[in-house]
Amino acid sequence: MPRLRDWRELLRWETLLAVILLLVIAVNIQMSPHFLGTRNLVNLFQLSIEKIIVALIMTFIIINGEIDLSVASVMGLSACLFAWLYEQGTPAEVAILAALAAGMLCGAFMGFWIAYANLPSLAVTLAGLILYRGMARILLEDRSVGQFPHWFTRLGQTDQFGPLSFGIVLFVVLFVVALIALHFSAFGRHVYVIGNNRSAARYAGLKVRRTKMALFVLSGLIAGLCGLLLAARLGTVRANAAEEFELDIITMVLLGGVSIFGGTGTMIGVGLSILVVLNLRNGMSLAHYSGNIQTSVVGALLIASVLLPNLLRDARQMWLRRGARRRPRPVAGGQEEEESRQTVDPKPIARS
Amino acid sequence: MTSIRRILRPEQIRELSLLLIIVGVVLFFGSQIDNYYTPRTFQRISSSVMIIMVVAVGETLVVLTRNIDLSVSSIVGLTAYVAGQQISQNNDMSPATLIALALGLGAALGLINGLLVAYGNIPAIVVTLGTLAIYRGVLVQYGGSKNILVRDLPDWLVDLPRVNLFTIGEFEIRLLFAVALAIVIVFQLVLVYLAYGRRLYAIGSNPDAAQMAGLPTRRTVLLAFVLCGALSGLGGFMYLARIGTISSNAAQGLHMQVIAAVVVGGVNIFGGSGTMIGMMLGAVLMGILEQSLIRMQINEFWKDAFFGLFILLAVATDALLMNRVRDLWARSAAQLHLARRTAPQKE
Amino acid sequence: MGTKKVLTSLVLIALLLAPALSVMAQDGPVEAEPGHELNMILLPKDPGNPVFVEAHEGAMEAHEELQNPGELIFTGPSPENAIPGQIEIITSGTTEGVDAIMISANAYEELVPATTAAREAGITIVTWDSPVLPEGEDLFIAQVDFSETGVVMADMALNLLGEEGGQFAILSATPDASNQNAWIEAMQEALASDEKYANLELVDIVYGNDVPEDSYNQALGLVDSHPDLRLIMAPTTVGIAAAAKALQDEGLCGEVLLSGLGLPSEMESFVEAGCAQEFALWSFHDLGYLTYYVSYLLASGQITGEVGESFVAGRMGEYTIEEDPNREGGKRVLMGPFSLYNADNFDEWAGGAEEEEAAEGEDEGVALDGDALINERCTVCHTRDRIDAQDKDEAGWTATVDMMISFGAQLNEEERAAVIQYLVETH
Repeated sequence: MPRLRDWRELLRWETLLAVILLLVIAVNIQMSPHFLGTRNLVNLFQLSIEKIIVALIMTFIIINGEIDLSVASVMGLSACLFAWLYEQGTPAEVAILAALAAGMLCGAFMGFWIAYANLPSLAVTLAGLILYRGMARILLEDRSVGQFPHWFTRLGQTDQFGPLSFGIVLFVVLFVVALIALHFSAFGRHVYVIGNNRSAARYAGLKVRRTKMALFVLSGLIAGLCGLLLAARLGTVRANAAEEFELDIITMVLLGGVSIFGGTGTMIGVGLSILVVLNLRNGMSLAHYSGNIQTSVVGALLIASVLLPNLLRDARQMWLRRGARRRPRPVAGGQEEEESRQTVDPKPIARS
Repeated sequence: MTSIRRILRPEQIRELSLLLIIVGVVLFFGSQIDNYYTPRTFQRISSSVMIIMVVAVGETLVVLTRNIDLSVSSIVGLTAYVAGQQISQNNDMSPATLIALALGLGAALGLINGLLVAYGNIPAIVVTLGTLAIYRGVLVQYGGSKNILVRDLPDWLVDLPRVNLFTIGEFEIRLLFAVALAIVIVFQLVLVYLAYGRRLYAIGSNPDAAQMAGLPTRRTVLLAFVLCGALSGLGGFMYLARIGTISSNAAQGLHMQVIAAVVVGGVNIFGGSGTMIGMMLGAVLMGILEQSLIRMQINEFWKDAFFGLFILLAVATDALLMNRVRDLWARSAAQLHLARRTAPQKE
Repeated sequence: MGTKKVLTSLVLIALLLAPALSVMAQDGPVEAEPGHELNMILLPKDPGNPVFVEAHEGAMEAHEELQNPGELIFTGPSPENAIPGQIEIITSGTTEGVDAIMISANAYEELVPATTAAREAGITIVTWDSPVLPEGEDLFIAQVDFSETGVVMADMALNLLGEEGGQFAILSATPDASNQNAWIEAMQEALASDEKYANLELVDIVYGNDVPEDSYNQALGLVDSHPDLRLIMAPTTVGIAAAAKALQDEGLCGEVLLSGLGLPSEMESFVEAGCAQEFALWSFHDLGYLTYYVSYLLASGQITGEVGESFVAGRMGEYTIEEDPNREGGKRVLMGPFSLYNADNFDEWAGGAEEEEAAEGEDEGVALDGDALINERCTVCHTRDRIDAQDKDEAGWTATVDMMISFGAQLNEEERAAVIQYLVETH
C-alpha cells in the first residue's frame, strides 16, 4: 500500500519540516515583539490566503504526475471576468457564478489536452498561463475596476469569525477535506497510483483520463474561487492580478515532500510547508525585506526542497554501499540483502 | 508517391508550413495596413526580434535535451545591468572586453543552472523557476536603487543599434540583427554537423537510453545550460545597447516570448526534435504578429492571448500531427527498402 | 496669611499657565524641535527609480538635521507588485507600530483601507508626489500645483509645435498613478480652455508603466500607429528617457519631438543629441526633505495638520497648510517651483561629469581653495544657497561633507579637508 511506505520515509521529511517551522517561528519572535499578536498572525495567512488554498489542489495534481502552471492566470482571469461583468452592470451574484464557471472551463480546456490528447502538462499549462493572462488583459486592458458591493469585499477582510476571515475558515475546511480525500478515500489512492505509474494504473483498470480531467477541472474551479477571494480582499482588480503566484504555490507543494515526478507526498507535509513559507514571508516583511528578496528566498527554497532529498538519498546510498563493502563476506542471508539493494539506478538527468 | 514523401523530412515539412503561415500572415496584414511593405516595418520587426532570437538559440539547445530554462529573462536583465555598470565606471573599456564580460557572467549563471539540473538531479522546471526568482533578486539587491543611465554609457554603445552592416536600396541591415542571424546559422550548423548536436538530440529523445549507451549525458546537458546562459548574456549586452536605461525590472517576462518562439518554431517541448531555423521562423512569426497588431491599433492586449493560443496550437500539432508524419516517414522508408529489394533491375 | 496664600496660588497659577499662554499667544510659524525619537517609513512608488532615490537623500538630510534618533526606513514594492506591495508595507508598518509612513502612492483608492487602519492605530500618514483619497491621509505634500502642471505641459507642447500645431500623444506611467492622471486631466482642461491651443490635437494616451522597456516599445508604437505624430509628451522621467532612446535608435530625433517631465541627469545626452527638446521638473531632493519635516512635525504633535497652520521646514523656509484646490476635502503643502530644461539653458544644468574631469585636471599644483571647490563640486546637485544658509560647527560640517561624499560628491582627502576647513571658518 503506497501509504504505508510513504509514511515511514516522509515521516523524516515532515519531522525536518516541523523543526524548520519551529526555527523560523523562533527567529520571527526574536525579531519582532509584534509577531505573536493576533493581528499579525491573521495577516500572515490573509496576505497569501489564495495561494495556500490553491496549493491544496496543486498537491493532488503533482502527486498525480502532472503540473499546472496556469493556476495564477486562471485566478487573474476569473477576477477580471467578475470585475468586468460587474462593471457592465451584471448583478454581483451572477458575475460570481460566471467567474467560477470560467475557471472550470479553463481547467477543463487544459484537462482535455492533457488527459485525452496526451500532451505534456508542462507545455499545455505553460500555454494556458500565457493564454489566460492574455484573456484577462483583453477584458480589463489597463484599467482597474473596484467599487464592489460591500458584502463582497467584507468576505475578503478579517474579523468575520472572531478575528478570522472567511478565507482562513475556508482554508481550514478545505484542508481537512483534502486530507481525507487524499489519504482516506479511494480517489486519493487512485491519484497516487496513477502518479506512480500511469500505464500500470490503466492496465489495472483505473480511469486515468477521468481522474486527470477531474483534477484539472477542480483546479480551475478552485483557482476561479480564489480569484474572487483576491478581488474581495484587495477591493480592486487589475489585469495582472495574481501574477507570479505559481512560484509560491509550487514551492509550498514541493517543499512539503511531494515529489515532482508524482506518486509520493502527504497533505500533512504540505500543511507544514505552507506554514513554513508563510512564516518566512511574514518574518521578512517585518524585517522590511523587499518583495523581491522574499521572492528570491522562496525561489531558493524551491530548489532546496528538491536538492536536499536528492543529496540525502545519495548520501544514504553511499553510506549503505560503504557499509556493505566493509562487512565480512562469508555471512549469508543478511549480507545478500544489503548487496541486492545496490541496484543500478539510472538517475533521471534530463526529465522535466 | 513514397519517393515524394522521402524528399522532405518531417521537420522540414514543419518548417515549410511555418514559412507558408508567415507569408500568409504578412499578406493578410499587408492588406489591412497602409505602408506595410516598407523598410520601416522590416526595421521594427528585425530590431524587436533580434534579442529574442539570440536568447532563443540558447533555449533551443536546452529544450532539445528535454529540459527548459525559465531563468533567461533574469540572466538577460542581470548581465545587462552589470555590463552597463562596469562600462559606466570605465568608459574606455573595449567592446570586446564588455562583450566578454556579459558572456562570462551569463555563462556562470547558466553553469549554476546546469550543475543543479545535470548533477543535482533536480528537474529543470524546478531549478529555473527558482533561479528566475533568485537571479532577479540578485539584480535588485546588486543594483540597489540606481539605474544605469544612458548618459554614462560610451557613444559607441549607445549608437550601436543604429550601425548598419550594409544597405540594400532603402533596406538597412543593422549590425546587431546580422549578428543575431549569424548566431542562428552557426548553431544550426552545430546541430547538424557536430557530434555535440547529435548528442543533444539523442538525450532529448531518450535520456535513459542515451546514458546507458555511454554518452556523456551530464556534461552535454551542463554545456547546453552554460551556452544558454552565455547567449542570454549576449542578449543582455544587446539589451543594454538598445534600451540604455537599465532598471531592476529589465527584461522581465522575456522568457515567455523566448519559449513561445522556440515552441512555435517546432522545437518539441519534450525534447529530441527541432531546428534553429524553425526557431527563427517561430521568432519571426511572433515578432510580425506583435508589430502588426500595434500598427493595426488593435488592442495590444490581444498579443498575449494570441501567443498563448499559438503555443498551444504548436504543441498540439507537434504531438498529434508530427507523430503521424513521422510514422508515414518511417513506413515509406520501409516500403522503399522493400521496393528496392524486389525490383533491382527497374533502376 | 490668607492674602499670602492667595498671592502664592495666583503666582503658581500664572507660572503654570504662562507656557500655555505663550503658546497660544504665539502666532508665528512653528519651529521644529529636534531630538524627538520617531520611526518613519519612506515608501516610494518604486525604490529603483532615481527620482525617489533623490527624495530619500532629501529625507536623510532632514533626518540628520532634526537629530532624530529613530529609524528612517526606505523601502518599496517591486514594480510588478506595485499596489499590493505598498499595501503590504503599510500593513506591516502598522503592525510594528512606526510613527509615520510617507507614501508616494501607486494608486489613488486601493491603498486607503490600509492607510485608514494605520491612522486608526495612531500612525501619521503623509503622501507626497502622488496622493490618495483625502480621507485616507493626513496631508499631501504637493511638489507643484497639479493644475499648473497641466498648463506647463500644454505650454511646452505649444512652444515646440508652434502655431501650426499638429498631432501629439501622451506617454504616461502606470494607468493608476494619481499624479500623472491628474496632470493629464489638467492638461486636457488647459487645452480645451484656451484658443491658443486650438491647433494641438491629442491623438492617443499610452502607458509605459514606468518600465523602461515597455515605455520604449510604447513610444515606438505611437510613432508606428500615428504616421503624422509630431510630438510625444511624457510626464514621467522613466517614460521620457526611454522614449528619447527609442527615437534615437530609430533615427527619429527632430522628426518626432519629445517633451515632458524629465530628470536632467538622465536627459543630458538626449538633449545634446537633439532627441529631447524641452522638459520640466522640480527638486525631488527638496520634496523628500520637506516631506520628512512635515511628517516629523505631525508625528511629534508639534503641528496638528489643520488648514492655516504654518511651520518652518528647516532650510526651505516657511510653509502653510492649505486646502487642496484640486481635490475636494484634501489638504496640502505646496512646494513648488518648476524648473524648465532645454538646449538653451543647457550649460546651466548639464555637464556634471565633465565638470568633475576638468576640476581634477586643475588640481595638480594649485592650492586647494575650499570656496572654489564648493562652487565646482557641490553645485552639481544643488545650489550654493543651501550651503550658505547653514551654520554648523566642525563636527556638524564634517558629518555633512561626509554624507555628501557618500551621495557622490567628488572630493579626495585633501579636498575634503579644505572644504571642511573653509566651511567651518566661514559658516
